[in-house]
Amino acid sequence: MINILVNEWKGFFRNKLFVFLSLFFLISLCVVTFFGIIQNEKQLEEQKIAQEHIRLQWDQMEPSNPHSAAHFGSYAFKSTSILNSIDEGINAVTGNVLRLEGHKQNDVVFSEASQSLLISKFGKLKPALIFQFIIPLFLIFFSFNSYTSERSNGRLKLLLIQGASLRQIVFSKVFSIWVIGIVLLLASIIVQFVFNSTELSSDTFLRLILLLFTYAIYFFIIVTLTVLLSVIFKNSTAALSVTILIWVIWTIFLPSIIGKTAEEISPLPTRIDFKESMASDRSKGIDGHNPRGDRRQALEKATLEKYNVEKLKDLPINFSGILMQEDEEYGNKVWDKHFGSLYDQLKSQKNIYQISGFVNPFISLQNLSMGTSGTDMYHHLDFLSQAEKYRRVFIKSLNDEYAFGGSKTGQRGWKASNEFFRSVKEFQYQNPTFSSFYSKYIIDFLILLFWVSMLVIFLSFSSRKTLDI
Amino acid sequence: MIKLKNIHKSFNQNKALDNLCLEVNPGEIYGLLGANGAGKSTTMNLLLGFLQPDSGSIEVFDSQNNLNNKKDKIGYIPENVNLYPYLSGIENLDYFCKIAGLKYKNEELKELLSECGLESDAHNKVTSDYSKGMRQKVGIAIALAKDASIYLLDEPASGLDPLASNELSEMLKKLASKGATILMASHDIFRVRETCNKIGILKKGKLVNEILSKDVSSNQLEEIYINFMKN
Repeated sequence: MINILVNEWKGFFRNKLFVFLSLFFLISLCVVTFFGIIQNEKQLEEQKIAQEHIRLQWDQMEPSNPHSAAHFGSYAFKSTSILNSIDEGINAVTGNVLRLEGHKQNDVVFSEASQSLLISKFGKLKPALIFQFIIPLFLIFFSFNSYTSERSNGRLKLLLIQGASLRQIVFSKVFSIWVIGIVLLLASIIVQFVFNSTELSSDTFLRLILLLFTYAIYFFIIVTLTVLLSVIFKNSTAALSVTILIWVIWTIFLPSIIGKTAEEISPLPTRIDFKESMASDRSKGIDGHNPRGDRRQALEKATLEKYNVEKLKDLPINFSGILMQEDEEYGNKVWDKHFGSLYDQLKSQKNIYQISGFVNPFISLQNLSMGTSGTDMYHHLDFLSQAEKYRRVFIKSLNDEYAFGGSKTGQRGWKASNEFFRSVKEFQYQNPTFSSFYSKYIIDFLILLFWVSMLVIFLSFSSRKTLDI
Repeated sequence: MIKLKNIHKSFNQNKALDNLCLEVNPGEIYGLLGANGAGKSTTMNLLLGFLQPDSGSIEVFDSQNNLNNKKDKIGYIPENVNLYPYLSGIENLDYFCKIAGLKYKNEELKELLSECGLESDAHNKVTSDYSKGMRQKVGIAIALAKDASIYLLDEPASGLDPLASNELSEMLKKLASKGATILMASHDIFRVRETCNKIGILKKGKLVNEILSKDVSSNQLEEIYINFMKN
């Protein structure tokens, strides 16, 4: 088998077109990866400057009312993983800055797509785009006739008579082309290692290895399928046509069809319906700015009883702060209910999408590529969750300062000191480790391995007999 | 030894071989003459194990219908030897030998190619620049390198110049004298008469005549062949 492999590689490297295309893709990948790293670093740097500016504003805040500070608010910045330079996933459309303030939860803003005039279905040129769309085509074009050409020119007979088995021949063809794909993958990964060596954590290392493994499996699927079809059809034109048709269905039609199906099965509410429903539930809570209302009166009564006083002005604390926090907590419940349900729907859609990998391994590849790069929906939801948790702590600390920081009910002009504001910790997004998320991607890995097993079995079966060649 | 007994083979109800019986013994060169579609290639493919007969039995060496573990004892030269165009003649020979599990030194490979009539200055040239005859010579070298007991040759002289063709005949006679069993399919009446001990005429899948070459001249053989083809 090793002799056939070596001969295949000799054939590739003595083919000028192959050498030209390989070098072209190799250099393109290195350049795209390098510029992706530079772009990512620039984005992180700009984000850091903005974050420091926001924090400086906060730290320099003059003594103010904590409730005014809650409305002044803060910002949560989603720091992207360095692997964003390989696959930016949904980051380009979700945005990376979230305004945090009292009474309301805002949407993420400043997505790159929203600021770009260049709208493309395929997004920016990142290594993932080349790995997912271009390299598979390159592998297809160099494998579709690797078997049929041997068969049609009679060399196959000669090889079989010399003692090679058909199985050895076809699997050597698969491995020889697959290794070319791996080399291209490794080039991009090495560029990542070289230019990100100072920032490579064990988690990033693990993610890079899994990313490499994922694309390697997908390339194996593509090459094995192409060779299998050439064994079945025994005709180069038919084999190429069917392979390209499958590639188009996998990469263009099925993702869109399956996405629409997932939306049909597990529909999300429209933005207007969602906001109206949230507003309706929110209106049933305590309005911190409205002195009339049953819930407010019940809280007032409970607080007076707790402090054993008759009137609000006799309280040793500022009732307005307690009221604001109570309102906040009600708002949090409404948010948990609506967003919890929304996230469940999103996860349900994602599950349907993942399962569809059984008919389209390209979907499993995309899920794993984004997942290992830390740029998929699960990572984004994690950012939203961390930001919301911080917002709650942030607003509570302001409300607590208002309530228990020394002011009394009715002292609207009371101001918290600058030291207090400086003591409030800023939001630092902790990128989740892959090990804490791995369970979400097991299904994608299993599906890719299922495809590999099936194709190996089919190819073994197809190359079992040497008759009728 | 090669023995075909009552072989029937059809493709989509078209009879390719009809009750073919043929025997080639060690030391014998058997020439199979026939027009296009007579069944020569089908016979070769049956012997190589690429086709299975509908009925009848094939004996190669001493066992029936099982060539898989005897491939190292069979040398095959197809009508069109298609080599790897990016490899030189010597690299092609080396590659096919390695596939067969044979390890030859570079000098030995060169010697083999020269024995088969390939000029030494062509040994290291890529075969994309070779003529049909030059490729055929490498194909012959591939078969001879196996030092086989049985040789199956499908139009082996196709594309060879008269001198190389004559050298091939001599080579085959030498192999037969060492005990090799040789079956050669061809259109070339003169070459078959010169090379083979026994000649079979195949028409529409049937072996219509068997002649010992010593009993006929080339002209007589041509006359016999044409008569069979016309009737």
